[in-house]
Amino acid sequence: MSIKACTKCNLITTEERCPVCDIPTSTNWSGLLIIIDPERSDIARELNINIPGEYALRVR
Amino acid sequence: MEDSINSIYALKTSVGQEKNVARMLARKVKDSGIEVNAVLVPESLKGYVLVESSSKIDMQNPAFKVPHLRGIVEGKNAITFEEVKRFLKPEPIIASIQKGSIVELVSGPFKGEKAKVVRIDESREEVVLELIEAAVPIPVTVKADQIRIIQKEAD
Repeated sequence: MSIKACTKCNLITTEERCPVCDIPTSTNWSGLLIIIDPERSDIARELNINIPGEYALRVR
Repeated sequence: MEDSINSIYALKTSVGQEKNVARMLARKVKDSGIEVNAVLVPESLKGYVLVESSSKIDMQNPAFKVPHLRGIVEGKNAITFEEVKRFLKPEPIIASIQKGSIVELVSGPFKGEKAKVVRIDESREEVVLELIEAAVPIPVTVKADQIRIIQKEAD
């Protein structure tokens, strides 16, 4: 069970498919961004993230 | 929802523990209700995590008692959002590689070998290398993240 990231929304998950986008995830990711409050975060707004959670900065 | 109310702070951590610190910090912050909106761990910034918060961070607060967290980076000027933006959209490694660059392989069966870049495949993020020390030049195709640039251009 490796940690994977969605290639579309960059959400970090352990699933084979992203629980949000339902597309295959990738083990090749780097950087970590934890969004706690997407409403108030400038970073979340910049990256169009609306769901709290862990995200990768770069996924291949 | 005001725009410039958030400040970004840099926290010093042990090298290699950035992600663990970020996860523990995120959990503690959620439980304690401190106003931290995001925790950022850029791969290129070893030993630091960046914290986006709308209030000043008080390191004395028990929520910031996290193993491997060494302290806050003090400074007169806060980190601007512009500076953080470049961490959010990291430039692919391949963009900085040129044909003829001398690189070192950092993983795989040829780890530690030096090689010259002969071809770059940007869409697949692959490079074709020729090992310098090999007697017969054999092209080797590797992913761009498996190499480290030693010399940017060929002389």
